[in-house]
Amino acid sequence: MQIRAQIGMVLNLDKCIGCHTCSVTCKNVWTSRKGMEYAWFNNVETKPGRGYPDDWENQGRWHGGWELKKNELRPKLGNKKGVVKNIFANPYMPRLDDYYEPFTFNYSILHKNSMFKTPPSAKPYSMITGKPMEKIEYGPNWEDNLGGSYEKRSSEQNFKEVQKEIYGEFENSFMMYLPRLCEHCINPSCVAACPSGAIYKREEDGIVLIDQDRCRGWRQCVSACPYKKIYFNWKTRKSEKCTLCYPKIEAGEPTLCSESCVGRIRYIGAMLYDAEKVKEAASKEDEQDLYQAHLDVFLDPNNPEVIKEARKQGIPDNFLEAAKASPVYKMAMEWKVAFPLHPEYRTLPMVWYVPTLSPIQSAADSGKIGHNGILPDVDSLRIPNKYMANMFTAGNEEPVKQALKKMLAMRAFMRTKTVEQEANEEILKGLDLTAEQVEEMYRYMAIADYKDRFVIPTSHKEYAEDVFGDKAACGFSDYNGCGTGKFKNLFGGF
Amino acid sequence: MEYYINNLLFTYFPHIAMAVFWFGLITRLVKTNKTIQAQSTQFFSDRKIRLGSNLFHVGMIMVFLGHFTGLFTPESLYHIVISTETKRIIAITLGSIFGTMTFVGMIILITRRIKDDRIRVNSGFQDYFDYFLLFLLLAEVGLGLASVSTTATASVEHYASLGVWAQKVITFQPDAGVVIAGHNLIYKLHIGVGLFIFIIFPYTKLMHMLTIPIGYFFRSGYQLVRKGLQWK
Repeated sequence: MQIRAQIGMVLNLDKCIGCHTCSVTCKNVWTSRKGMEYAWFNNVETKPGRGYPDDWENQGRWHGGWELKKNELRPKLGNKKGVVKNIFANPYMPRLDDYYEPFTFNYSILHKNSMFKTPPSAKPYSMITGKPMEKIEYGPNWEDNLGGSYEKRSSEQNFKEVQKEIYGEFENSFMMYLPRLCEHCINPSCVAACPSGAIYKREEDGIVLIDQDRCRGWRQCVSACPYKKIYFNWKTRKSEKCTLCYPKIEAGEPTLCSESCVGRIRYIGAMLYDAEKVKEAASKEDEQDLYQAHLDVFLDPNNPEVIKEARKQGIPDNFLEAAKASPVYKMAMEWKVAFPLHPEYRTLPMVWYVPTLSPIQSAADSGKIGHNGILPDVDSLRIPNKYMANMFTAGNEEPVKQALKKMLAMRAFMRTKTVEQEANEEILKGLDLTAEQVEEMYRYMAIADYKDRFVIPTSHKEYAEDVFGDKAACGFSDYNGCGTGKFKNLFGGF
Repeated sequence: MEYYINNLLFTYFPHIAMAVFWFGLITRLVKTNKTIQAQSTQFFSDRKIRLGSNLFHVGMIMVFLGHFTGLFTPESLYHIVISTETKRIIAITLGSIFGTMTFVGMIILITRRIKDDRIRVNSGFQDYFDYFLLFLLLAEVGLGLASVSTTATASVEHYASLGVWAQKVITFQPDAGVVIAGHNLIYKLHIGVGLFIFIIFPYTKLMHMLTIPIGYFFRSGYQLVRKGLQWK
């Protein structure tokens, strides 16, 4: 048993209102620089939709994640020889147009000109070429709230085995929000595909980072990441990605996207896992076994033997304490209401999602009431279970249905408790939940207090790099010095 | 006077060029290692780049290997396997094939670079320098291709003496320049431009060839976990 700690995140999609506050705070801090205008380390998509970059879930096109080749796990991009073969021109790399051409508007013209022959308007200008753009073709949130045609939107990947024609009709249309960021996977394929060895997973908290000093710009990680969460900075010509706001995490504070979330949908907590089980878990033959295999990798932080062994292996006590109170552990392991995004990519992602409930009005109108007369039937929810199962459990509907039932039961149970003053425990029958658990679920998922949502252990001095040499140096630079001068020093090359 | 200039260019200048090359290479590797990288513009537009870049790079690597083995293998050594005559035929054939590949690849890449708005508009000083470098490389490859017919028609000794010259240069023999004094101007231009490229090499993006990911093949497995203090 080789125990490692990992910081994970859960997003409760049931409460996401799609306001993009997470994206904007992240953008302002991390990617408001030249070369990264197009990049959103965090973005919110409306599903169903092709997303950002266009059709990112189509691994037949981008070759992200892992595959089993003769029962051996290897990056879908190819073995090491196959990866290096592509460094001259990566055939699976998304281009700028697959994200979008970043633009701004020439607002100044509205201030300067006193007379217009036509109604005043500001034209879009490309932030890459500085030239006026005929038309804005795509954006990070192009399909917001069902924008665009259903034909186009429904050409995404999660409609596998879903009768999608029905959901194109107005009465049956559905949507949900999906905020996405780097998954900080336990088995990251970007790390595996980096020829320079610049991408690494931190041992102490599992955060995946790109060492900018070692990145040589071979661009393989951009394709290798199945979530398309590694971005190529066209100015520095190196790759960049979400850092899980590690300076904040180290100080015990939540990431910017979590802190600013107005819906309080985000949870951050520590998990313990057995690193020796990872390869086996990612190599399950049947894709639908991957979700369970992922759960099996985690260790019970309350098990005295695990604690003893973890201490022996040098995991600090505050990490062990945080793991015990981890909201991620509770939602993923205890209540099983949170799921990994696309386990079939075999990366064992660590940003998990609580599936969303959806209206049952149309079903209720037609007289369908749930099996026990109290709870509505999850099959009559507006969002097809199969659709969400394709997203979270490689198509296995049962776990998703069970989670939705638990969430419905939680609502019904608390309603009886607060309205009727007497909790009806009948509701919980067959759901593998106790009354205490439901009340705890309610505390975490409905009340979602700050201290319950974020249980983050502070980092330890012994993990810290010696940064004394970087004191008073410029921060994120493209080695052009701290200024904007174009001329590098003689030894920096032209 | 002619002897003096010939000696200066083909006996001493190679040493000066190599001195600058090694000095620049080492200072660059030590002082600004992290600026050595591939400068890909594939992200802006990948039309044509797959063909152009692969042709250029594969061609260039083969041409480089060909020059290296061809020039620096002593006659006594290769005569065990092949005669000078056969060696010339191999050199001309492979040289023409890979030289043409490189040349065509470069033409594709240069036209793409000039035509594409996104790349052109974002060209800074460094990129203008890149154009200079590209045209220099193009000229070098062009001269190399142009010399093929001379190599094919001139005598075998004439061809063999090119290798002799290179070997004399790297073994610091004072009569190196004399060996190729009577050679066609096209060879001399090819050598002159080539040596100039060696001089500017450490200060250009050509340095990215030193970062070819050989270490990747020796990395155990695919995982990479780091402790804060382990990497400095």
